[in-house]
Amino acid sequence: MFKNLTRSVRHLTSRALTHYNYATSTRSSGTSSSTSGCVRNYPAKQFVAVTKAVEGWVQKLEDAGVHDTEFNLKCIVSHVLKRKFNTVPDNFSQLHFNPKQLAEFERFLEARCARMPLQHIIGEWDFMDITLKTAPSVFIPRPETEEFVRLVIVNYKDVEHVNMLEVGCGSGAMSLSMLHALPQVEATAIERSKAATVLAAENAKLLGLQKRFQVHNHTMEEDQYLPEQLQDKKYDLIISNPPYVKTEEFQFLHPEVVVYENLNALDGGSDGLRVARLVFDLACRHLHSGGKLWLELGNEHPPLVKTIMHLKYEGRLNFVGSYYDQYKRERFVQIEKV
Amino acid sequence: MMLRKLLNVRCGHLVRRWSSSDPLSLQNEKLQSYLESLRLEYYGLRVNATGNSRAYERLSQLEGVVNALEQRRVLERNITSAKDIEQEKDEDMRKLMEEENEVYADLLSKQEETMLQELLSLADDEVYPALIFGVNAGAGGQEAMLFAQELYEMYTSYFEHMGWEYEEFARETTDIGGLRHANVMVSGADAFHWLRFEAGVHRVQRVPATEKSGRMHTSTVSITVIPRPADVHVHIAEKDLKIETKRASGAGGQHVNTTDSAVRIVHLPTGLAVEAQSERSQLKNRELAMKRLQARLVQQQLESSEASKQATKKAQQGSLNRNEKIRTYNFVQDRVTDHRIQGGTLYNLDGFLKGGEPLTGLVEKLQLEHRRARLRDLLEAWQPPQKAANKD
Repeated sequence: MFKNLTRSVRHLTSRALTHYNYATSTRSSGTSSSTSGCVRNYPAKQFVAVTKAVEGWVQKLEDAGVHDTEFNLKCIVSHVLKRKFNTVPDNFSQLHFNPKQLAEFERFLEARCARMPLQHIIGEWDFMDITLKTAPSVFIPRPETEEFVRLVIVNYKDVEHVNMLEVGCGSGAMSLSMLHALPQVEATAIERSKAATVLAAENAKLLGLQKRFQVHNHTMEEDQYLPEQLQDKKYDLIISNPPYVKTEEFQFLHPEVVVYENLNALDGGSDGLRVARLVFDLACRHLHSGGKLWLELGNEHPPLVKTIMHLKYEGRLNFVGSYYDQYKRERFVQIEKV
Repeated sequence: MMLRKLLNVRCGHLVRRWSSSDPLSLQNEKLQSYLESLRLEYYGLRVNATGNSRAYERLSQLEGVVNALEQRRVLERNITSAKDIEQEKDEDMRKLMEEENEVYADLLSKQEETMLQELLSLADDEVYPALIFGVNAGAGGQEAMLFAQELYEMYTSYFEHMGWEYEEFARETTDIGGLRHANVMVSGADAFHWLRFEAGVHRVQRVPATEKSGRMHTSTVSITVIPRPADVHVHIAEKDLKIETKRASGAGGQHVNTTDSAVRIVHLPTGLAVEAQSERSQLKNRELAMKRLQARLVQQQLESSEASKQATKKAQQGSLNRNEKIRTYNFVQDRVTDHRIQGGTLYNLDGFLKGGEPLTGLVEKLQLEHRRARLRDLLEAWQPPQKAANKD
C-alpha cells in the first residue's frame, strides 16, 4: 500500500520533472533569440504582475499538503526572477513575470504541489552563512543541523588548529560552514554516494574553500573505516550527522523525504544507530587522545548512546554531554576519546 | 601693536571673514585670553593627570589647540618687527627681512586656520558611539510615504558614503513602494555629529506620481536622531527568551523536510516580540531577530532613561527643533533649500538624493555653522580668570 503510494507520487513528479527539464533546455537554446530584443519588445500586457500570478496557488499548495505556503511562493518567485531572496518584498509589489518566467513559475509550483522539495526545485539552499548547491539524490541539510554546527563552532572558535573529519558529508554543508566560519580548521570528509561526493567538492570550489577541504568517496565498513590513503590518519575532531531514522519509522516520513531524498542518508537500521555504531568504532581508531566526536542524532538517542558508551566503550570513549536543539529536543552528543 | 598692523595687512582675507568685532577673530582680546587659559589648563593637566581618565580625555581634546597655539607663537617670534626693519641700515638686509616676514606671515595665516579648526572641534559635545535614525512619513498621505522612501534611500547611501555601519530594525512599507516609517541603528563615532543636523521636518513640493490632475502637492517627512550613550547596554538572558518557529510540534531532523525558516522571538520580561523571515536560513533569521530585539530594547531603554532625554535635548539645541521645517525639496525648480543657513540652496535634486558629495557638503556647512555658534556661546559665557585679566 505504502509502496504503491510512493510509486504513484514518483511517477507524477517524474512527469513534472521531464517537463521542467525540457523547458530548461529549450530556454538555454532560445536565449540567443530572446536577448536579441524580443524580450524588450513584449507588449506590456504580456507582462504579468507577480501579485496576479500567485493568485490561487496558496490554496493549491495547501490542498497538496504543503505548509508554510507563503514562504514557498516567495522562494520560487525570487528564484524565477533570479533575485536574492532577501531583496524580494513580501507582498511582491511592482514585480512582473515575462511569459517565459510565468511558465517556469507555474511548472515549479506544479512540482512543489507534487511535494518535490523546495530546495531541489530552486537548486540551491542557504545553510548558516553559505549557499549550497543541491542535487536530487543528495540529502538536504535541516534547520536543526545549523544549530548543531553553531554549537561545534562555539566550542572550537578559540582552538588554534583543528584537523577535522566528517563522516557522511552529503552536500558538504557541515564541513563547509565550519571552514567558512573558522580559518584554523582543515577538513577531510568521506561520503558513500558518488553524486554527493562530486557535489560536495563542487560546493567547496564555489565557496573558495577547496584548499582546506578534501572529500573521498568511501563506504564505511567494519575494519575498513577510512579509505586506504587515510588508514593511519588521526584527527582532533570528528563530526557526523549519520542516518538515524529507524526502519519502522519510514512509513511516517513526509512525501518530500521518502519520495525524493536518498534513503541511504536516512536509514539507521532497527534502532537508528546502525551507522552511529560504526562511527564510534571509527572514532576509537582515528581520534587523538582527548579528541572529540560530535554527533547529531534522533531525539531518543542520546540516553541510549550514553548507555552504549558505558557498556561497550569503557576506557576508550567517554560520554561528555548531550544538548538540545531549538525545539527543545535532546539531539546532539559530545563524546571524548580517552 | 606693530605686529598686529603687519598681521592686518597679511591676513586681510581672514579679517574680512571675521571682522574684528567677531568674537571668533584671533584679534579678539577675549579669544586671546581664552586661548591662553586653555594653554595653562593643558600644562596644568599634563603635570597632574596621572591615572585620571577624565583628565586624559580633556588633555587629548586640548592637545590640538595648544599645539597649534604654540606653533603660532614660534612663528610670531620669527617675524622681525617693523621697528627693527626700520633701524636696519643695510638696504639688502632690510629687503631680506621683509621677504622673510612675508613667508612667515603666509605660514601664520595658514596656521591660524588650522587653529580655528581645532578650536571649533573643541565646541563639539559629547561623543556617542551610535544613534537611532528614524524616518517617518508626515502630512501628505501616500505621496509623503513615497518621498519617505526616497529619503530613506538617500540616507542609507549617505551612511555607506561615510563608511558607517547601519542596521535597519523596524520598517513598515506600503503597497505602492512607499514607506510609513523606518528605524535604523547607525554606528560610527562621528555619525552623531553629522546626522543630528538632519533631524527635523523635510518638506517636498512636487506633482506626485499618484496625482491625476497634475496639481503640485506639499508633503512632509520627519527625521529623528536619538543618540545612544556609550553606557546603554542591554543584557538578554537566554532563559528570558521564547523562540518560536512555524513548526510547533511533530518529528524533526531527518524525518521531515520542512524549510521552516521564519522565526519569532518573545522577550518574556518585557513582552516585546520580534520576527524575522527575510532569510532562507533559520539560524540567520534567528540572529536577525536577536539583533532586532536588542535594538528594540536599547531604544526602549533610551526613551525611558534620563540620560538620553538630556542627550536628545542637547541634540536639539539651536536649530535642531524636532518640529521645525529644516529643508525643502522642490522638484519643479529642481532645487533643495536648507532653511537654517544662508546660501543653503543647491540645484540638481537627483544628484542630491543620491546621498553623496552634495549632501555631505551641505551637512559640512551646517556643522561649521553650528560649531561657530557653539564657540561664540562658549566665549560669551567664559569669564577670564582674575590673574589673566590683570596681566593685560
